[in-house]
Amino acid sequence: MGEINFSKLRFLIADDYSNFRFTVSAMLRNLGIGQVDMAINGADVLDKCQRHTYDVILCDYDLGAGKNGQQVLEELRFRKLLPRKSLFILISADATKDVVMAAYDCEPDDYLMKPVTTKMLEQRIVRLLHQRQVLGRAYNALELEDHRRAIAILGHLASSEHRHSRTAQKMLGELFLAEGEYQRAEALYTRVLQLRPLDWARLGLARVKHHLGQLDVAGDWLEKIVQENPLYLPAYDVLANNWERLGEARRVQMTVQRSVEISPKSILRQKRLGQVAERNGDLNTSLQALRSTVRLGELSCHACAEDVFHFARVAAASVEQRLYPAEALLAEVTEAIRVAKERFRLPKEQTTRADLLTARILAQGGKGERARLLIREAETLLNTKQDVPLEVHLERIQALQALGEKTQAESLLQDLLQRYENDQDALEKLDALLSEPVSETNRALLAAVNREGIELYNQARFDEAIDCFEKVRHIFPRHVGVHLNIVQALIGKLRAGHKDAHTIKDTEKALATIGSLIGPTHSQYARFQRLQSMAAASMAS
Amino acid sequence: MTTPTNSVDFSLVLASSVHDMKNSIGMLVASLESFIEDCPPANEKQAKHFNTLHYEASRINAELVQLLTIYRMQNGHLPLRVDQHYVIDVLEDQLARNHSLLDSRNIHPRLECDDNLEWAFDADLIGSVVQNVIVNCSRYTRNELLVSAKVENDFLRIFVADDGTGYPPSMLEAPTSSVSGSGVNEGSTHLGLYFAEEIARLHKQKNRVGYIRLENGAPLGGGCFNLMLP
Repeated sequence: MGEINFSKLRFLIADDYSNFRFTVSAMLRNLGIGQVDMAINGADVLDKCQRHTYDVILCDYDLGAGKNGQQVLEELRFRKLLPRKSLFILISADATKDVVMAAYDCEPDDYLMKPVTTKMLEQRIVRLLHQRQVLGRAYNALELEDHRRAIAILGHLASSEHRHSRTAQKMLGELFLAEGEYQRAEALYTRVLQLRPLDWARLGLARVKHHLGQLDVAGDWLEKIVQENPLYLPAYDVLANNWERLGEARRVQMTVQRSVEISPKSILRQKRLGQVAERNGDLNTSLQALRSTVRLGELSCHACAEDVFHFARVAAASVEQRLYPAEALLAEVTEAIRVAKERFRLPKEQTTRADLLTARILAQGGKGERARLLIREAETLLNTKQDVPLEVHLERIQALQALGEKTQAESLLQDLLQRYENDQDALEKLDALLSEPVSETNRALLAAVNREGIELYNQARFDEAIDCFEKVRHIFPRHVGVHLNIVQALIGKLRAGHKDAHTIKDTEKALATIGSLIGPTHSQYARFQRLQSMAAASMAS
Repeated sequence: MTTPTNSVDFSLVLASSVHDMKNSIGMLVASLESFIEDCPPANEKQAKHFNTLHYEASRINAELVQLLTIYRMQNGHLPLRVDQHYVIDVLEDQLARNHSLLDSRNIHPRLECDDNLEWAFDADLIGSVVQNVIVNCSRYTRNELLVSAKVENDFLRIFVADDGTGYPPSMLEAPTSSVSGSGVNEGSTHLGLYFAEEIARLHKQKNRVGYIRLENGAPLGGGCFNLMLP
């Protein structure tokens, strides 16, 4: 291995404390490093990396106001400002769990805990530079997206016994997976695991099984990995994907929730939790996760306007379901929307959409006048512009519903149904506002779920029947039949002797929901009344 | 019984203030090192003062790190991150971390470890155990210090040996039993050993668990601290 020519290297030191910057830069100069630059905050690092390519970046986690080291690293990668061969070393004085987990989670080339002495830093840097030298050709191939050549180079490095063979094996496994070479990945991971049960290799093997569609095997292995090493975050991500493919939305949520508890600073996991919890009808969890998403988004490259809309939408739904009073969320949502309008320079129809969301919450909070004003303003746009996205129209309808303008909402809904009668995607979105789905997919889904649920009910498997109906309740919140079926299954459970407080509460809640959806003229009203008295009788007996 | 109206969790307050202290001391040690480098001691007396400053600051630092780690351990906030490492890297790091301390005390450390020896463990935690032992040894050794690692009976044995007077008999028998207080009067709480043992115990492999062992005599004639990892 050739000696490293330090004089040709360029370093960047980022820390908001000048003391650290100067000590380290003196050390690097002693080492003979050609050029040492300094950055005092996150924006400064991004700026310098845009103009130069660094061999090594030494970055403190805490960079004062603005982005922290983890957010800087994420953004450098996101904006492709960090070639694979640039080494990023994260340094931190904060050993609290959140910070440590976040730091490992973004996978820097090395992570050091302060206090760091110059001698120790020097050793680490030299070690990493040697590794970079050995893997350099593979990095170059990866940079050029020449995966075949990278595989050939890494294959050679991975099979010979030396200091960097482990790193080469890890990289090779990733490449095999990315290229869909599952047999070769499996062989590699199995070979590694024969020597030691290393987590990354176990995860690799589980990923192979996942990709090959052996979801049960993959699931078992992944559960075992997180059970033995509950802090191994990447395993949760794969496990959540595995449940997703199995169609187990509840389990997806539980898995993502566990990973968020371990590393609450991960915006992408918070975002995912917000989505899956909403799908499961768990608005409380969804709201919390989306609130964190918006907060973490303030300084993250992974933030987008949609996060704020999503937060506002779930906030509005939570208010409608009486989870929170409107006043509790109004100020927060308004502020998030104001910031988003500025930061993302939203086009007119998107700001209109935001205003309609605000109107929805205002209407719930008894501020009908202000809500009406916002809706009227939005209508001038909607009536003049042709190609307004469907989402904006949907927000308008929901805002009107919140105001109690049922007739107008209904007639707008009918207009949209006509306009989009040949667009299945649009119809699926409209289904959420209708009492009966119109899209083919949703009709088929509803029919299948009803069949399955009724079958389970007939076999007296009430809990499973309830779970089954619950799956579609959140997709079609206004569908009376689904609610009635849930009540029926709950009564079955009560009659079978399960009179716990939980079941009773669920039954009462479901009946109240139906009561708010239908009146005496509704075709299902008689069935509703029948179930009501049956429920009362079985709760009392 | 009185109910405190504004009850604060004292251990939490303590932990956060220990965290601050640790950072301050870290800065202090770093500044001290660059100061000694810029203005080397002019005479024997100055050198001795620098020595004391440096040793005591390192000791406080190590002690605070320990306290914080134990606090996190008890609250389930200690992330254990086991990965495969080259043992020599971790040992080299710790010697480098204490380079200036050892240098100032005229101690010549030796490192004996196979370049290719790999093992699975949490490098940060094991590193801090070794670091504590080195700081401790720097006080009791005459001028030799050996840091070494090898595989014995399927355990990784990391050991730190010195040529001082060795561990007192009471410690050899039950190294961590006195942690709860009896040692306080003698100026040592044995917290370091408790810490080391807890960290060792976190490392498990199948049904074997890590542990520590203290010995006197071989290989340098003084004390020998052994950390055994499955």
